[in-house]
Amino acid sequence: MLGNFEYKRIRSIEEGCQYLAEAAGDGAVLAGGTDLLVEIRNGLKSPQLLVDCKGLDVLNVFSVDDSRSTIGASVALNQLIEHRVFRTTHPALADALASIGTYQLRNRATLVGNICNASPAADAAPVLLVLDAVVEVAGVEGPRTVPVRSFFAGVKKTTLKPDEIVTAIALPARSGLRTAFRKQQRIRGHDLAVVNAAGAYSPAKKVLKLAIGSCAPTPVLLDPIEVDSKDNEAFADHVIETVLRAVSPISDVRASAGYRNAVLPILVKRILHELLFEGSGA
Amino acid sequence: MYDIRFTVNGQPEHATVPATMTLLDLLRDRLALTGTKEGCGIGECGACTVLLDGKPITSCLMLAVEADGHDIETIEGEAVGGGLSVLQQAFIDTGAIQCGFCTPGMIMSARGLLNRTPDPSDENIVEAIAGNLCRCTGYEAIIAAVRLAADRLAGAKQGRGQS
Amino acid sequence: MTRELKYVGKPIARADAVDKVTGAAQYTHDLCLHGMLHTALVLSPHASARIVSIDIEKAEQVQGVRAVLTGNGLCYQLGLYLQDKCILARDIVRYHGEPVVAIAADTLDIANAACRLVEVQYEALPSLLDPRDAMEESAHLVHPDLHTYNYMKGVFFPKAHSNIAHHQKIRKGDFDRAFEKADIRLTASFYNPPVQHVPMETHAAVAQALPGNRIEIWTSSQSPYTVRHLLSVCFGLPHADVRVHVPYVGGGFGGKAGLGLEPLAYVLSRAAGGRPVKVVATREQEFNTLPSRQGLHSTIEIATSNDGKIVALKSTYIWDAGAYADYGVNIGRSAAYSGAGPYSIDNCWIDSYVVYTNKVFGTAFRGFGHLEVLWGIERAMDLMARKLGMDPVEFRKRNLLKEGDTTITGEAFTSGHGNPQQCLEAVAEAIEWRTPSAPPIEPHKVRGKGIAMLHKAPAMPTSTSCAVVIKLDEDGGADVLVSGVDYGQGTYTVLRQIAAEELRIPIEKVHITWECDTAFSPYDWQTVASRFAYMGGNAIIEAAADCLDQIRFVAAQALDVAPEDLECEHGTVYPKGHPDRGIPYSQLALGYTFENGNSIGGPIIGHGRFIAKGLTHLDPDTGQGLPAQFWTYGAHSVEVEVDTETGEIEILNIVSALDAGKVLNPKLCVGQVVGGVVQGLGSALWEGFVFDEKGRLLNPAFVDYKIPTAKDIPHRTQQILLENPQPGGPYGARGVAEHPMISIPSAIGNALYDALGIEFTTLPLNYERILTRIREKAESS
Repeated sequence: MLGNFEYKRIRSIEEGCQYLAEAAGDGAVLAGGTDLLVEIRNGLKSPQLLVDCKGLDVLNVFSVDDSRSTIGASVALNQLIEHRVFRTTHPALADALASIGTYQLRNRATLVGNICNASPAADAAPVLLVLDAVVEVAGVEGPRTVPVRSFFAGVKKTTLKPDEIVTAIALPARSGLRTAFRKQQRIRGHDLAVVNAAGAYSPAKKVLKLAIGSCAPTPVLLDPIEVDSKDNEAFADHVIETVLRAVSPISDVRASAGYRNAVLPILVKRILHELLFEGSGA
Repeated sequence: MYDIRFTVNGQPEHATVPATMTLLDLLRDRLALTGTKEGCGIGECGACTVLLDGKPITSCLMLAVEADGHDIETIEGEAVGGGLSVLQQAFIDTGAIQCGFCTPGMIMSARGLLNRTPDPSDENIVEAIAGNLCRCTGYEAIIAAVRLAADRLAGAKQGRGQS
Repeated sequence: MTRELKYVGKPIARADAVDKVTGAAQYTHDLCLHGMLHTALVLSPHASARIVSIDIEKAEQVQGVRAVLTGNGLCYQLGLYLQDKCILARDIVRYHGEPVVAIAADTLDIANAACRLVEVQYEALPSLLDPRDAMEESAHLVHPDLHTYNYMKGVFFPKAHSNIAHHQKIRKGDFDRAFEKADIRLTASFYNPPVQHVPMETHAAVAQALPGNRIEIWTSSQSPYTVRHLLSVCFGLPHADVRVHVPYVGGGFGGKAGLGLEPLAYVLSRAAGGRPVKVVATREQEFNTLPSRQGLHSTIEIATSNDGKIVALKSTYIWDAGAYADYGVNIGRSAAYSGAGPYSIDNCWIDSYVVYTNKVFGTAFRGFGHLEVLWGIERAMDLMARKLGMDPVEFRKRNLLKEGDTTITGEAFTSGHGNPQQCLEAVAEAIEWRTPSAPPIEPHKVRGKGIAMLHKAPAMPTSTSCAVVIKLDEDGGADVLVSGVDYGQGTYTVLRQIAAEELRIPIEKVHITWECDTAFSPYDWQTVASRFAYMGGNAIIEAAADCLDQIRFVAAQALDVAPEDLECEHGTVYPKGHPDRGIPYSQLALGYTFENGNSIGGPIIGHGRFIAKGLTHLDPDTGQGLPAQFWTYGAHSVEVEVDTETGEIEILNIVSALDAGKVLNPKLCVGQVVGGVVQGLGSALWEGFVFDEKGRLLNPAFVDYKIPTAKDIPHRTQQILLENPQPGGPYGARGVAEHPMISIPSAIGNALYDALGIEFTTLPLNYERILTRIREKAESS
């Protein structure tokens, strides 16, 4: 048994928002449950109401194409990872999702859940940040959209209101972007990120976006970087310097700040290598 | 309390459960299906792996009430017609068992893999069972067991095709 | 003429396999008795504190709560070697995670809810976290009453009014003089952190207090008879009034030796009016409440001649026992008499101190101190080889024990000990020791090879014994009753093979009763120390011989032939050379009936036993004596690849050679080796407790305590099993179950030097530690 809560399987998103509004901050949305139920078991959260949105067909779908992709809130990670078109359209995101937890966990865990949990180490977050993903939100007052870069408010905190439900994540047109994801773990088996990072490079605009996880209270998106391809090494040094200025890693049981600071430049360098220096990436 | 209907190993079940009950507790405490084990309670060890609509999940991280309308398969459903399944026999033949506590979850993960990928690579096998911790065997014999089961199943299929 | 073996030495499948692959195997976790209560614990949030007050009133009033216990009123001192443990903390808490209050209730939810209503007030005390600090005169005492505790006298030497629970001395030759005169000297220090066993089934026990002060226990334990004995001593009950059942056990690795949760379950049942009470450790409690492996600080001094002969070795081992040292004292003892490695050393001086600190306490763990001690010794051997400019394999060869040498406790090394030299040569050859690693493709990666020796003997009292009973069935089959526990090693399967071999019946007809029950199964000390196949195997041989004697005695009358003229084969006894005139065992098992109805004999029950032979206590001042029933020697070689940018290490190959004496079952034996190697890999690369400055354990869950997964195993492993027979071992066998884990860290540490030119002295060799040292080296050069 876990905690002490009521459970509602909702028939519409509006109904869900209504329940959450009535719970006035004591409610939580149950998607895969792989973070939420652990936190309830460990006494870190004690919601009075769980709103299960998995019965809604509208949240169970995803569509992927070059112009725009939408991933519903109930779509399990493995549905995406094992989807050929998704994997080829969003390889970095697929890599990031495949690095989350165990195979069993990924049959329950969702992309939306990964960001709603708002861990600084959320593996999907850096990729979504560099892809300019948009969070689609429903609330008592109607729907709205939030850019992922405005979504995280702190460790385990988002800018959602208590009555709001994330319904989907939308990824804008890829328009020739090359993307890459890197993660440092402590072991090859399932692990949280000691550091993670994602990059997106537009060869047309010669602009690079980088985002870093697990090195600050929230995942960090850097300002777009103009790519100067004349001197790869000097450019890499410049980027790494910029990255290190943008983050503030701490020491915890997973790693020291020193190790994070040492590994982060390596991940960035490897991303640059894949995106810029190695010919055409995906 | 919530009324739920679901199937376990093909048998229809009906239960009235509190919201806070996990699927694992429902299986073990209500349905006496104790082959599914609890090793950590937080989805890290895989001892509680069962199949939900054919896919492996950790039953400690799913509420019983969420099972409403779904099909659950546990280790107790793996043996067929009074005999062992090809997968179970392969675990015995390669020496993939020691204390046995991880074995049911391990077999369910392997079952899920063979359902979706009948001819898995070693990499597929490792990915499928890496969420099942085993402290005894060092995994080599388990990987070999899944490989052997896949080969035997493929051989049997081929044999049938020829006859 | 030697008879060809039918079962012994063959890859027979496990006897328990079908139960385990079908989920039918019942573990203590799965047990449910009518009216059974469930238990939750209030744990100490402090590493060291005085308990000022405990308010349990609100908890007692919760509907469904049946018993609430605190340490007050539970004035029992428990222990196998040193009675330093209480059931629940009394007056003071000695580690973060120590149980302070236990509540038994109708459901686990109720028990947990009631625990949240308990109010405990503590006055925090300074905590001792480093055993080296705890050895200082001025250190506060973790056990102020140590001088009043009972302990095994003549074997252990707790130092009154100190934190030293045991001091083991080994003195051989004249260390000071030899060290002084030696050509080359080396001193190095090493550290192992405390780690956890991580059995997949956490500790669990069910107890029922029965009328007339009787106790019935079901427990996930390695030690049914030791549990019975210690409970009977603790509660002052006749042994027969304590009945202990051990069903299937989901892994132990030493952590379930001795006493665990059984006394707590019992006192709760007693307080709840005799309702059965179940106590199951959560995974977090398995980490921070139940025992772990002790940490170790080692300092090793070696001196050699210029040609590489070790002339003197001195070690100081300071064990981080944690809050209780009942079992830790024996690790400090055993690792001392093995504490110089498998080498011939004329002048040796070892001090092994088992020291109390305010941390979760230590106990036996596969390898029993040897992984820890040999982390230092086998690293130091490589350091010394480099100082000498010698190849590490050559250096070891020059010093390994050979026939005619004596061990550091004065035991003569004979050919019956097995052959460490052969083990070393085998792993060196298999890893192509003389050929440097092929350079990796990626420029930021490097490779290296390493090698390490290992040895270990069972650590057990000089009187350790075991018994086996074989009952013949009316179908000519045999029921074997033992009280050693098969928690995964495969010993029952091996005993079944031996029984079939000796009774001359098909293996399918040998049945081993899986659940141990002290009411029916004969005595066995406990299942530890890689001794069960050896001692149980010998006892089975004797029990089978007893059965055959009885069979021949009755058959002799039936056939009118002298017993010595009868032989047995295929479950039949017959006059030599006349198998056609035989009588099947089935007609003798319950007695033989003549044609006229007259009957003779009666049910055949064979009995066999084994007791340790010739062992002596060690001299208190010099450690000289015979501590070991047998020794098992082995070696590992490894090849590693390191990413010098991230510190990630990958294991390309691990070759293991063990001198098993006789491989009783190659499939199970290889299983023990592979499993041990990967468990050793955990200790080498990832595992270790992390405490904060106040002594709180920061990684008591799988989220931050990582054990190897299927993605983390070596690319390749090889097992080489040598068979130089053990005199007195069943079919020449010696124990091998613990050994594969030992020296895996040392071999990897040695390979890391080869790859990086860096000397690692602290475990685990995790990515962060490796990268930190790589960067330090780069900065200093």
